[in-house]
Amino acid sequence: MKADLNNFPQLNKTKFENRGKEFRLGIPVINAVTVGNSIAVGFGDGTVRIFSSGKSSEPIKAHKGIVLCMAKDGDHILTGGDDGRFLRISLDGNINEISNFGTRWVDHVTSKNGSVVCTSGNIVYLWMSNKKEPKLLEHDSTIGGVAFDSKGRKLAVSRYGGVTLWKKDYSNKWTSSDLIWKGSHNKVIFSPDDRYLVTSMQENQLHFWRLKDKIDSAMSGYGAKVKSFAFVGDSKYLATSGANDAVCWPFDGDGPVGREPICLPYVGKQLVTFVESFPNENAILTGLSDGSVYLSEIEKANNTIIIRSFTEFEVSAIAVTDDCSHLLIGDMGGNILWTSIWDEEKN
Amino acid sequence: MQETNKQVPVTVLTGFLGAGKTTLLNRILTEQHGKKYAVIVNEFGEQGIDNDLVVDADEEVFEMNNGCICCTVRGDLIRILSGLMKRADKLDAIIVETTGLADPAPVAQTFFVDQDVADRTKLDAIVTVADAVHLSSQLTDHHEAEEQIAFADVVLLNKIDLVDENGLEVVKQRIKKINPFAKIINTTKCGVPLNEVLNLDAFSLKRVLEVEPDFLTSDHDHEHDDDVTSLSFVSDTPLDMEKFQDWFTKLLQTKGQDILRTKGILDFTGESDRYVFQGVHMLMDASPMGKWPEGKERSSRLVFIGRNLETMNLKEGFENCKSA
Repeated sequence: MKADLNNFPQLNKTKFENRGKEFRLGIPVINAVTVGNSIAVGFGDGTVRIFSSGKSSEPIKAHKGIVLCMAKDGDHILTGGDDGRFLRISLDGNINEISNFGTRWVDHVTSKNGSVVCTSGNIVYLWMSNKKEPKLLEHDSTIGGVAFDSKGRKLAVSRYGGVTLWKKDYSNKWTSSDLIWKGSHNKVIFSPDDRYLVTSMQENQLHFWRLKDKIDSAMSGYGAKVKSFAFVGDSKYLATSGANDAVCWPFDGDGPVGREPICLPYVGKQLVTFVESFPNENAILTGLSDGSVYLSEIEKANNTIIIRSFTEFEVSAIAVTDDCSHLLIGDMGGNILWTSIWDEEKN
Repeated sequence: MQETNKQVPVTVLTGFLGAGKTTLLNRILTEQHGKKYAVIVNEFGEQGIDNDLVVDADEEVFEMNNGCICCTVRGDLIRILSGLMKRADKLDAIIVETTGLADPAPVAQTFFVDQDVADRTKLDAIVTVADAVHLSSQLTDHHEAEEQIAFADVVLLNKIDLVDENGLEVVKQRIKKINPFAKIINTTKCGVPLNEVLNLDAFSLKRVLEVEPDFLTSDHDHEHDDDVTSLSFVSDTPLDMEKFQDWFTKLLQTKGQDILRTKGILDFTGESDRYVFQGVHMLMDASPMGKWPEGKERSSRLVFIGRNLETMNLKEGFENCKSA
């Protein structure tokens, strides 16, 4: 398919597009992170922009090449880039370089309760609150993803062959145990209640472990790699990309073993490329490979509304502000929609 | 929603330490060519490359759970290539340097197996830099050296100023015995126009039709049982498609570990199109490639590069595929 601006289909715009602000920046959107009522967006030219009600920021020149990863850290954001820099950036654009790894990329960043983490190659660099020097946690293979549990006492590190689960005792000593499953594991998350750990894999599937008894299982059947997944609402469902439908696995009770997922279909049979939970509801925002975005209630398949019509570029970021007033959508073609969610809100 | 013409070509640069890979990489990065190249280097590489678009890699090989027993890929490449493809400024090409002792197969297989990598990039060619002085002994001592020659689309035979004419001929014969397809370019200090090593499209099926293998007339004698050699077969009798698929699929499944590369142009009974394929171990890319040229004889040609080929009854298997 080819983007031809002269023949760009003039579909009816959605009410969100009509009242929101659209930015056609032409720079791939890599990630977006909510910080309070602002949303920070990382781009494929190394810049970061902060969006908030009534304001859109000037680009902050953070990295030389790409903003590879981004996470919230209190009222700041953490970013890692292909220039080897690990940065802490304030919402008004002040950059503080935490570390610099030179020609080695900073692949993943995260934080919890004042502790910040970045990974480069097979090493986790962990700065505990108020510590100047990082603690180094080494692994046998390159790290695919990293996540804290809700209390910041456990750190899951996905890699080739499974997940290393680091646990902090009350004397602040970290010890590790292994969750093993053959293959290469990428993104990792805890469920909001910390009962489950989920990874996406190099193969077109996900894997989960129930931590209390280490029961584990694959979630498969996808046509593409699962790059985006999120727990929805009170962790009852895990919404996932990688198929034509948004596939939502039940995580209530004893979890998804032996149970069927709910599949939310969308018009046009495009691939789902991004999913994000809609705060405080059993609802998800689903981004497709043609740029369109929908809001769907998981248990009411017919209750789906279109938020953004198509742009021809795959959706690569969706975020909702903490007060649930605004949302932001970004795609690989560099198009951004910032819009109020409720009719009476201003942009 | 990627178009094929947006795939960034990736050149794989192999060769033993000291053969001259770094010289070539430095030329690619510093010459005024108006192109934007990213270079992925390995941790054991020689020093002396400094550039914004140089990325450090770990050469991490892992197995895929796809039922293909010898299917290994380079995990770090999947990560780095996927990252590079998110850049706002588009790259003209990417060059992947491998360590001297690396097997090129996982690199090549990555482009067949990972959908993201295959959507956005394409394997352009495997270029092996060889030291004209030391290649013969390296081939004897290290099977990795044989593999690097076996997989090569281009062999840059470097440091030819340090060998005499006779020595050069001996090395060339040795290369051709392993790989009759590789184009051998004689150089000193890797002084070769960059368009002879980059953007060759050697892994496209179209190129299979164009490259005429340079087979040795000599017999296939060799010193060790595990030497890499090549065998080729030609038939003017059309082949039976079903018989061929049966034989070939089974062959790759059972002997794929020893078969390093395969290429072929096939004439099937009842088909007006030429069928072209090429493979790396068990993985294969195949497609009809248009009608046979008018007025030219139709024939099937099949080439194997690998180890223990003489034990696989290849000639008999191929003969059995001929239409009755």
